[in-house]
Amino acid sequence: MAVEAEMVAIADTKARRRPAGRAGDPAFRALTVLFATLVLLVLSGIIASLVQGGFLAFAQFGLNFLVTSVWNPVTEKFGALAPIYGTLVTSAIAMLVGVPLAFGVALFITELCPKWLKRPLGTMIELLAAIPSIIYGIWGLFILAPFIQSHVEPFLIATLGNVPGIGVLFAGPPLGIGVLTAGFILAVMVLPVIASVMRDVFETVPPMLKESAYGLGATTAEVVWRIVLPFTRVGVVGAILLGLGRALGETMAVTFVIGNSHHVNPSILQPGTTISAALANEFTEAVGDLYQSSLIALGFILFVITFLVLAAAKLMLIRLQKGAGAAA
Amino acid sequence: MSVSLASTTPPRSDTPAQPGESATVTPFPVKVQIRNVGFHYGKFEALKSVSLPLHDRRVTAFIGPSGCGKSTLLRILNRIYELYPNQTATGEVLVDGQNILSPGLDLNLVRAKIGMVFQKPTPFPMSIHDNIAFGIRLYERLPKSELDDRIESALRRAALWDEVKGKLRQSGLGLSGGQQQRLCIARAIAVQPEVLLLDEPASALDPISTQRIEELIAELKSDYCIAIVTHNMQQAARSSDYTAFMYLGELIEFDETERIFTHPREKRTEDYITGRFG
Repeated sequence: MAVEAEMVAIADTKARRRPAGRAGDPAFRALTVLFATLVLLVLSGIIASLVQGGFLAFAQFGLNFLVTSVWNPVTEKFGALAPIYGTLVTSAIAMLVGVPLAFGVALFITELCPKWLKRPLGTMIELLAAIPSIIYGIWGLFILAPFIQSHVEPFLIATLGNVPGIGVLFAGPPLGIGVLTAGFILAVMVLPVIASVMRDVFETVPPMLKESAYGLGATTAEVVWRIVLPFTRVGVVGAILLGLGRALGETMAVTFVIGNSHHVNPSILQPGTTISAALANEFTEAVGDLYQSSLIALGFILFVITFLVLAAAKLMLIRLQKGAGAAA
Repeated sequence: MSVSLASTTPPRSDTPAQPGESATVTPFPVKVQIRNVGFHYGKFEALKSVSLPLHDRRVTAFIGPSGCGKSTLLRILNRIYELYPNQTATGEVLVDGQNILSPGLDLNLVRAKIGMVFQKPTPFPMSIHDNIAFGIRLYERLPKSELDDRIESALRRAALWDEVKGKLRQSGLGLSGGQQQRLCIARAIAVQPEVLLLDEPASALDPISTQRIEELIAELKSDYCIAIVTHNMQQAARSSDYTAFMYLGELIEFDETERIFTHPREKRTEDYITGRFG
């Protein structure tokens, strides 16, 4: 009897609480929908204002804007080829240098590092990401650029510069300031981002899976290449993309060391510019509607490039996942 | 070959102990002789001087409550514990008379000789075909047709061939749990080991898959020396020839399975198998 009474009492309180829950749920739902919509609104707002701001430039130059490298505020002739080229090349250099380094660092931390070193090393890598980009810029300008000018570039010119075909990439005097230096700075900046994400991803590999491979007699290298990497490839690509995203959009450090020249030069030792560097440098001086509009159009292009990179990566990931069982 | 424990632990008065008497008459030679093996996780002593034989073409079951050291013992037998710092094993494990714990040995060859299957299925993130080929390719460079034959025979041995023959190129992750575990067994036997270590191979599986695994063990024992860790008394009773009962890092009793389950010499063994503790 007592139990029954108690149960009735419990049911009662539940019933009494219900209405509040019923009213609260839709409210909560509406709130979250609002937040989610807000994100979409901001995103589409940014796109719309970029399109609107850059409209004048696109209307004036059409598709030529994308393929010409003239950038003359005096004659009001603008083409985006140089910054687009610079953005892509510096990011490519950053990835070429940064990804293998980050990969090695992440592997060392997760698979080979003695336990006492794990934490300090991981923390230091993360601290590298915490350095403001303006500091990287100053360091790049005063320390890295002179070093590259006196040591790296002469070596590259003397060796790779003489190789037919790719020699043109390493032509010209060693200036220190230029696309290569910007790429190196970017590599250092993306390293912590990629390395720490990769480390987290590598740590998701179940120990038992690795033990199974070791149990078959595999070596560490075989386990890494055949088990850890395939198991984490989605995360690894994600890590690389995060790094690429940062490299494409990085402004301050690049502006310091790239030389800010609107010329498309095949040699990576020569100065160039990137979209974000051009924007940072020139917005304050952009007098005239067309000049300003051209800069905004540049911003729109950067947005599109980043979007394309992400979309391509997504597509690649889908294909990778589909082919998970494909023959090696 | 005699069971060293019996001399250190007095037998119960009502059952006169005949340590290892039956073991000495077996036609199946000792494949692995575990001798005074101890193990430390850092400062914690997980195994205390364990000695017992594993017979060729027989199944030896390890039973005991959680944390008694049975999985630890298995992890010593193919030295997988060495992947982790601060884990040390002492004593000797003689496989065909060779001490595999001696430091000079080629670790990868030891592991090739001694296959292991884990608690949970661990298919590699690749196709069924490549899962099996993985181990083979570590040691041998076979022409494609030969490789395919080896893969087929391994899958047949693991009673999985009929279920997967049409989809060898599909991911091993797409199989059911029981199939995945048989895939792991196929993968282990594809490298042609001599000893097979099974660490609770059916604990994550449903009853029907469990039954299939047990049938498979009965099949495989005609070729291998098998050691199986299990929490399931019936499984130990059904599928093993010898049973070792372990408790708190010690080997309490080792004998033929039938004897352990009908006339255990030790009170603790009896209490455990009758479910009074553990």
